[in-house]
Amino acid sequence: MDEASGQNIDGEAPVAETVVETEGATVTENAELERTLGLSGGLAIGIGTMIGAGIFVFPGLAAGRAGPAAAASFAIGAVIALLVALPASELATAMPKSGGGYYFISRGLGALAGAVVGLSLWFGLVFATAFYLVGFGFYAVDALGLAGVAAGEGLVIPIALLVGAGFTVLNVTGTENAAKLQNGVVALLLAILGVFLTFGVLDAVGVVGRPTAPERFAPFGPFPVLSTAALVFTSYLGFAQVATVAGEMKAPGRNLPLAMVGSVLVVGVLYVATIFVATSAIGSEALGRLGETAMVEVGGELLGPAGALAIVFGGLLATMSSANASVLSTSRAIYAVSKDALLPRRASRINLRYGTPHVALGLAGGPILALTATGQVEILAEVASFLHLVMYGLMCVALIALRRDEPEWYDPDFRVPGYPAVPVVGAVASFALIGFMQRLSQVVGLAIMAATAGWYFYYAGDVKLKGAL
Amino acid sequence: MTRVLVPVEILEGESVAAGLMDLLGTVDVTVLGYHVLPEQTPPDQAREQYEERAVSALEDVADEFRAAGGATEPRLVFTHDRQQTVDRVADEVGARAYAINGATGEVERLLVPLSGDVAVDRVLGFVADLVGNRDIAVTLFLASASEGAGERLERAASRLREAGIETTTEHVLAGDPFDALVEAVPDHDAIVMGQAAPSLSAFLFGDEAERLAAASVGPVLVVRSVEGLDG
Repeated sequence: MDEASGQNIDGEAPVAETVVETEGATVTENAELERTLGLSGGLAIGIGTMIGAGIFVFPGLAAGRAGPAAAASFAIGAVIALLVALPASELATAMPKSGGGYYFISRGLGALAGAVVGLSLWFGLVFATAFYLVGFGFYAVDALGLAGVAAGEGLVIPIALLVGAGFTVLNVTGTENAAKLQNGVVALLLAILGVFLTFGVLDAVGVVGRPTAPERFAPFGPFPVLSTAALVFTSYLGFAQVATVAGEMKAPGRNLPLAMVGSVLVVGVLYVATIFVATSAIGSEALGRLGETAMVEVGGELLGPAGALAIVFGGLLATMSSANASVLSTSRAIYAVSKDALLPRRASRINLRYGTPHVALGLAGGPILALTATGQVEILAEVASFLHLVMYGLMCVALIALRRDEPEWYDPDFRVPGYPAVPVVGAVASFALIGFMQRLSQVVGLAIMAATAGWYFYYAGDVKLKGAL
Repeated sequence: MTRVLVPVEILEGESVAAGLMDLLGTVDVTVLGYHVLPEQTPPDQAREQYEERAVSALEDVADEFRAAGGATEPRLVFTHDRQQTVDRVADEVGARAYAINGATGEVERLLVPLSGDVAVDRVLGFVADLVGNRDIAVTLFLASASEGAGERLERAASRLREAGIETTTEHVLAGDPFDALVEAVPDHDAIVMGQAAPSLSAFLFGDEAERLAAASVGPVLVVRSVEGLDG
């Protein structure tokens, strides 16, 4: 095994040590680190992060762009996510450490690629969280509308900012265990969606309700289907967040692949069904006109005012759960790079009073608020996807690099079926999807990557991480 | 050899009463220093910051135990879930019982409740090993109106007497078993009880051993219903 080496300009070196991973704990020289997350906890992180965007924010935007074929856009996203989730699962079982994609890439491809991915993941999560918060703002305004308070769209951003600041403060000061709450929220959301979709599918195929006029599947041709897939790919970012808590999962060899692949499959099916139901219920043109909260109208159309209320309630819960899960992942992403001396070590300091990583949470919350203030739903979503897709593609490349020249320590419990086709196609598809994004998103994404590479050469150019477990 | 797990919240300055250390002088002890973290904080991140302090505090506690007589091994764990950590480590070291810390002076009299669905043989075997040939008296307590309860209690008492332990019995026939047990606590310095199976009341009101420890203030040794493999 190679050793991590080098120092950053503050004279800090990567923390290197030999540890033993068991099913229940990581055993270091002097201490054990308990693994406390089970399969349901992992699924709750994956599904809870993903479900907010794909179902409650995107249907209107996607249908407006691609027509009923928006369902195909979501299906394309699911296939790409699955092609990446499988290699990611193998890497995670070989290296069940906090940090996820960053960790695999820095060990498989070296410190430069690692630094770009690790720091980009931080920004990717920040963009994603800002996007979820703006989505929350739209639902909050709708909720106020249902409650009889006429709040214009001018309130969307202020509400999003308030909630974003609230989460940051809560995560620093709140030491109650919220994991059980997250599990409950996800279960409740799945229940609401289950009822809604069952009724919606029955309605769409004509068993109940009144018949609807069929539409052309892809009225705008194939290109918008692909560019919409690039936009809505943000709906699938959550499975990689499962990898950021890999160090805390019980029986990681079994639970990590199940949680990652399982959450992609669950939300992929839900997304495609939701779009199908939504476009059948009120037509893609009307959906497109209604924008971010089009699903409320769909709920009202299918189940009356109670349906609209259920969707508003679900939308609030789902966007909140996505935002909160992403804030926590961001803090872990920052910890992973600072442990390797790619950021100052003080970024991972823990607050003495609350025992929470207040610096990392602040480094998440601050930029999130700045981006939320822009209110650019589509650009936020695409840049988030861009930065994640770079990581996904490189994860597949890292897997291939590790497999071609298998180091002694590389012993994953789960191996990708269909190697090498799956990681090769996963990498190509991830990079290709970036090509279908808006020009502005691509420019912002590339600028962030260039800046992170510049930071690496300036701050920690001596640090070497390849092959150092 | 009988082993007892003693969990200590190491960074909160929790200390173990001298009386409890002396009581455990006849058995092997694993001192489990643990630190519970909010879910926002990865255990690894906390370790980086607190490890040095925790290791030195734990070593101090372990030294005190060694001075009290038993072979002692320290374990340090950073966790999100205290109970999971206690169960895992107890399994790994094959601990027959774990301690719930409490204030006490020198232990002269133990209270051993046999009420409910506990494995009486395991509890009595543990008490015999723990007391050894020391001058510690035992009160066996049973709150049950069922037929044959009195005989069961006497059989248990004679088993301890055969092991040379001064044993008295207390049989309560009416009232709430838990309240009766709490009333029996004064005049005793520590409690040894069997781990109850998970039940609805444990789910609603909390684990009986924890409630008893809170009500009695003194230490409670909980004899585990399952033991891990030796190791």
